[in-house]
Amino acid sequence: MKKFSALMLALLMALSLAACGGGGDTAPDTNDGGAAESGGGKVNITIFNSKSEIQSQFEEMAAEYSAATGVGVEVYFSSDTVAAHMATRYASNDPYTLAMVDAKDIYSLGPEHAIDLSGEDWVANTNYAVSVGDQVMGFPVCVEARGVMYNADAIEAITGTPFVPSDYATLDAFRGLLETLVAGGMESPVGIMKEDWSLAGHFLAEVYEEQDDVFGYVDGLYAGTSTVADNEKFNALMDYFDVMKQYNYAASSPIAAEREVSEQYLAEGKIAFMFGGNWDWSMINAYDYSEHLGMMPVPQNLDDGANQKLVGGGSKFFFIDSSEYTSDEQRQAAKDFLNWLVFNADGNKFLTEDCALVPAFSNIAAENLDPLGASVKEYADAGNLIDNYNYLPDDHYSMMGAELQKYLAGQQDRAALAAAIEQYWASTTPVER
Amino acid sequence: MKKNTLSYKCQQYAMFAGISTAAFVAVVILPFVYGLYLTFTSWDGVSKDKPFVGLSNYTATFSDAAFWQALGRTVIYSAISVILVNVVAFALAYLVTRGVKGQNFFRAGFFIPNLIGGIVLGYVWKFVFNRAFVALGTSLSVGFLSTSWLATTGGAMLCLIIVSVWQYAGYMMLIYVAGFMSVPKDLIEAAQIDGCTPNQTMFHVTVPLMTSSFVQCLFLTITRCFMVYDVNLSLTKGEPFNTSVMAAMHVYNQAFTYKKYGVGQAEALILFLVCAIVGVTQVYIGKKAEVAA
Repeated sequence: MKKFSALMLALLMALSLAACGGGGDTAPDTNDGGAAESGGGKVNITIFNSKSEIQSQFEEMAAEYSAATGVGVEVYFSSDTVAAHMATRYASNDPYTLAMVDAKDIYSLGPEHAIDLSGEDWVANTNYAVSVGDQVMGFPVCVEARGVMYNADAIEAITGTPFVPSDYATLDAFRGLLETLVAGGMESPVGIMKEDWSLAGHFLAEVYEEQDDVFGYVDGLYAGTSTVADNEKFNALMDYFDVMKQYNYAASSPIAAEREVSEQYLAEGKIAFMFGGNWDWSMINAYDYSEHLGMMPVPQNLDDGANQKLVGGGSKFFFIDSSEYTSDEQRQAAKDFLNWLVFNADGNKFLTEDCALVPAFSNIAAENLDPLGASVKEYADAGNLIDNYNYLPDDHYSMMGAELQKYLAGQQDRAALAAAIEQYWASTTPVER
Repeated sequence: MKKNTLSYKCQQYAMFAGISTAAFVAVVILPFVYGLYLTFTSWDGVSKDKPFVGLSNYTATFSDAAFWQALGRTVIYSAISVILVNVVAFALAYLVTRGVKGQNFFRAGFFIPNLIGGIVLGYVWKFVFNRAFVALGTSLSVGFLSTSWLATTGGAMLCLIIVSVWQYAGYMMLIYVAGFMSVPKDLIEAAQIDGCTPNQTMFHVTVPLMTSSFVQCLFLTITRCFMVYDVNLSLTKGEPFNTSVMAAMHVYNQAFTYKKYGVGQAEALILFLVCAIVGVTQVYIGKKAEVAA
């Protein structure tokens, strides 16, 4: 009897342990709650936010939105890569109602996991929605673009004349300005981010994105018929890169340059130029930044018009989960939320003022954007954005980032870099599009 | 009650080891078997269907030059780190068991790095290597200090080794301290009376009696070094030029960043085998060398 009771006790402990574990796992799971309560009234939705810089704004908004509409909103953030995080959520059968992902994730996840949003009202108001086949699946959260960030105050302090970016669209003019700056006392007016996503994901990508026939060129790279070494665009952009390398403040040890330091230098005007995008504002505004910052196209000695345009478009996309773990009520609540973002004044305010995002919808006015965002909006409104190429292979930024780092550190020349790029594409399985 | 029946034995087992067996099966065996299954699929990590592809992930693994480079790098890193960690730990343990003043304070001090998580540690040391050393080097104009070691190929590896030694030496020191304390005083005194020099006492009496400490420490350091990820991620992130990517990081990238889950899983399995073979061999040899007092 004694043994039996001991056994029961052990069993009980095991069960309670299992219960604890189970409880911990399901606690944040509002899907069950949502489905169970859907008959009663209150609907809960979960939102995955993948922009770390706006997480606190998102949480505040969720509370206000819940109070105003009665829909429970829980916002989650993960510092994992988006794809990896989505993988774990789908593996545990616990998807978000609404998930903010990158364009390439919409292509890979959408067909299986997203619902068709073609019938939504906001579709007519944007050029940036992502469609898979003939179905609209991605709701664009904002517009982001890449180019050369400048600190006009720092430049004007030396030149004494107002800085007009379009005067320096050619590399020759740009180089002339850099020389003036150096002569005027700014020893090294340029910063270069050595991060692989910046070098390969953002800068090298422009080589493909600015081709006349982007898809044809990339297909040729896969097939080994397109060349890099003698490509006009590649050489124009690398000429610019060489100039930046020459005037880099960290030229003696470019790979040791830390992004925080470079952004701080740019914000405070110790350097005048750095290649980047309007997302860099989230770092710049952490420092004592000077007033007149902005973005300009990458200066190039080619007259194909690319030196008049930034590269970018819609960035970060919401999709609504299609699985059986999300109820129809939740899906409807998620659609309502997206409409609220686009058509409600509070929603607009949340996007453009609280989060300082450049809106992707024509009906949303944005007055109080940060300087970089304002530049991007200016180019976007004028139709001067070159489209993102959203089908780069997943390992492109890492593999090619390493090659560009070698080039940046002076460990390989342009011919070797071009050969490495050609070789990479030829040995990679083409990404479907 | 009969003690020889199967049901009695099962009951006894369930009572004493049932919970841990269940937990072990749930969190180690099942995921392992499932992982093994995934190596035969071309799953991308999120898709609902997991197409069966046979052995193609293994052929991909064998032709993945970056993986073998990462593995080779890990072996070199582990070999150097394991030796340094244990030498330093043993020396520290020796020092703090000699009865120096405040030795408990020193023990705690040396142990503290181990309490800081690997990610934080990586960022702290990144600051030290990138800023503190460089500032020191430039102001004193010491050539080899004035550029960041993290920006050079060999330097990044060196930094990883330094940080690992700093992190693990304190922990291993504790095990060696326990080893030192477990050596009976009377044996040492007997050896001294018989005319042993301090060195002879050390190497012929103390060290052989501490073999189990060595076995444990070596096993722990070898497995930890082979599986290093957190420090690797926060200190170097594989930079520069992907030359400090260790095996575990390559596996992670392969599975989650490049979305080749099956290949990543197959590579993880190979990493596991290498690690298991090295670890088990080392424990086997070590156990044979153990002596009783």
